Amino acid sequence: MYRYVLRRLLVAIPSLLIASLIVFTLPRLLPGDVVQLMLEEKAYGKDLDDLREKLGLNRPIAIQYVGWLGKVAWGDLGESLWTGRPVREELARRVPVSLELGLLALCFSVAIALPIGIVAAIRQDTLTDYAARSAAILGLSVPGYWVATLVVVFPAIWWGWSPTGEFTAFRANPWAHLAQFVLPAVILGIASAAALMRMTRTMLLEVLRQDYIRTAWSKGLREAAVVLKHSLKNAVIPVVTILGIQVAQIFGGTVIFETIFGLPGMGRFLFDAITQRDYPVIQGVNLLIVSIVVAMNLVVDVLYAILDPRIRY
Amino acid sequence: MNLTRRDLLKLGGAAVAAGTAAIDFVNPAAAQVVKPKHGGIFRISGFDPQGFDPQLTLSYRTMTILSMTHSRLVKVKAGPSVQPGSTPLEPDLAESWSRPDDRTYVFKLRRGVRWHPKPPVNGRELTAEDVRYTYERFISLKGNQARSLLDPVERIEAPDRYTVRFTLTEPFAWFLDVLSSTSMLIVAREAVEQYGDLKRAEVCIGTGPWMLERHEPNVRVTLTRNPNYFVPGLPYVDGVEITVDPDHATRFANFAAGKYDFGPEYNMVLRRLDLDVARQRKPGLQTAEFILPNMNMTWLKLDQAPFSDVRVRRAMALATNWRDLVAANAWAHGHGVPNPAVPAAFREWSIPLGDLPPEGRALYEQNIPEARRLLTEAGYPNGFSTPVETTAGYGTDYMDGVQVMLANWKAAGIETDLRLKEYGAFLSTTLVGKFEKLAVGLFGSWTDPDSYLYRLYVPGQASNSGGVDDPKLTEMIRLQRRTFDVKRRREIIYDIQRYLSRQMYYLYGPSFSVVVAWDAAVKNFAPNIGHDYGGRLMAAWLDR
Repeated sequence: MYRYVLRRLLVAIPSLLIASLIVFTLPRLLPGDVVQLMLEEKAYGKDLDDLREKLGLNRPIAIQYVGWLGKVAWGDLGESLWTGRPVREELARRVPVSLELGLLALCFSVAIALPIGIVAAIRQDTLTDYAARSAAILGLSVPGYWVATLVVVFPAIWWGWSPTGEFTAFRANPWAHLAQFVLPAVILGIASAAALMRMTRTMLLEVLRQDYIRTAWSKGLREAAVVLKHSLKNAVIPVVTILGIQVAQIFGGTVIFETIFGLPGMGRFLFDAITQRDYPVIQGVNLLIVSIVVAMNLVVDVLYAILDPRIRY
Repeated sequence: MNLTRRDLLKLGGAAVAAGTAAIDFVNPAAAQVVKPKHGGIFRISGFDPQGFDPQLTLSYRTMTILSMTHSRLVKVKAGPSVQPGSTPLEPDLAESWSRPDDRTYVFKLRRGVRWHPKPPVNGRELTAEDVRYTYERFISLKGNQARSLLDPVERIEAPDRYTVRFTLTEPFAWFLDVLSSTSMLIVAREAVEQYGDLKRAEVCIGTGPWMLERHEPNVRVTLTRNPNYFVPGLPYVDGVEITVDPDHATRFANFAAGKYDFGPEYNMVLRRLDLDVARQRKPGLQTAEFILPNMNMTWLKLDQAPFSDVRVRRAMALATNWRDLVAANAWAHGHGVPNPAVPAAFREWSIPLGDLPPEGRALYEQNIPEARRLLTEAGYPNGFSTPVETTAGYGTDYMDGVQVMLANWKAAGIETDLRLKEYGAFLSTTLVGKFEKLAVGLFGSWTDPDSYLYRLYVPGQASNSGGVDDPKLTEMIRLQRRTFDVKRRREIIYDIQRYLSRQMYYLYGPSFSVVVAWDAAVKNFAPNIGHDYGGRLMAAWLDR
């Protein structure tokens, strides 16, 4: 097992290097650059070159890349071109917010998807199953940002109350801090839960029709033992795969939800950086996201091995 | 010129009592005379600043904050006595000023003005050397995008501790207006020397009415009262809490829920679309209407057919119905005005449409048959087709307007191929003239009328995107810059607008008449154009 994990870690290094090249190059291929944006509509002649030189953007791109990579190796992600603040400090402040939102959404998603998926499978073609599947389709169909907007606006119109407001840090008020994550995490988790629930139900139905499960029933085992002990473990391998994909989708979704609910996370930071062509920030955030996705894939691979000892790459 | 702000506030109160009815108050509650109260916190929906260096950005995000923490030599007056869209000046750091000749300005500074008590400046007295240093840096700093504002400055001197002298290369009648811009805030030399620039929050050190207490990036900006502010008794409120709230729906929800004291959009605007709900939720809500200088603008490549032909440009103007654009906008909901070359928001300088020549005035009323006739006369009996470059980055309200405009043009036989650019790409290419034939965008962030003429029409200026090169026009524009007599200058500017109404080098869309809203407890507040939140909030107080 250790060799398996080590091998997966070594494979991750070239992945990260290639990703670093992509995250460095792609923002520079976008039309328009940070210098023009900083000068907005009042740009004029010579200033463009002056500012480009001041920001170090006049050097060849290969030299800029090597210089950046060298700093990254020492944990220095550079400074924002707009604010001059170190990207590492900014990320240190924002990553916990996005992680908290993403993890809560993931927990909510798993917490409702697995039980409902299991119940829907073992009560196939009953009213419960139809209700669960309908709810799942609804969850997949209704855009999360729309639900979020309604949740924010209608209480304000009807009762003069808004679920959003100033962000409260954990240290300042732990309950208020957690409370501000509940709604966005639930809404963000709904679509993910719907996909997971459908996959759980489908896979469990397939496993429940296997011969060894029939044998388990014929032995007189209780339903809980048959479903949870003998069936679920084999059914969840594809679910774990979907879960790995959902992690990337959930973190992508944080951009909108952080904006609507006023959470100062990584998503909003990245969105602003892209519109402003703040290259060090775009590079830093994307590199971090790539690292998280690579790490999550590693976790998924390891989970495969735990769930099914026959799996070895 | 030597009036203090306190004098002006007293006069403002008297003026209100006398009935300054010219302000289009929807709710006249704002004009009540109430004895100012001290204390409380203003809660506003704002923006995360893009650094704190007023010479390294033009962004409203930074300027609205710095207008509360920094000072200038002169500033635009604030309060209900000032008509929105007018920019009367009053002393700020300058106690008085004089103009010994057309090329020289001498400013006498207030004595005893203290910087905020923060290191490395530590509350020392502001002197003429600080002003000289600020503007020397302004002129020489690489990357200062507003630098051209001081192009006419030849040298700056500080002959004594409280006197600053500007010598200009040529007479420049708008010089005081330029100095009142939020780009002209005075910065501390020690802070620049210690940190290299002023981007960081810890070096947000000024002489303004409030001090930066805390900046939580993308969350909030907290300001507290400057105990040593140079106008005794001001500001009235103890602090300003600015919450960064980037989503429109969330901003409005928080406003309706009573979390903000002012309208949630830029410049304390409340969309007319949301007005009824806001009034239901916030009893006693005070509102005022004023015209934003921002407008839809169409740039044309004047050196290319078909736009090199003035008949085509006039046909496009005749095809456009500005009322349709105003009706389609959620901020305006049918309220707005057409713009001549100087936006109608500048009520003292924008020519009334009735004063335009008949052929210019006619271009502001949609007339499709006449547009088709002009196109036929220009050799386009079946109309023509043109690419239209714009960006969806201005938001859905803006794009609704673009669609309306394209439909207008289609009715006259002008087919369009809409090409959307990413917002950043649009700013960095189209706005500096890099477009194929025709581009549409939002325009109007300048707060002095001269910029709308000099920068858009004089050859060599970056914002002259269409490539206007009209010697007669250039001379008229230069002449008004040299003319100090306000009445005469206004006549020249009116003449320029008359001339431009016939040429139609650019097509101006309408400006929206917006509603600014503030809580019943906020007193003596009035809106105006520009980023000077500080000036307007300093005149106001809370009665809660």
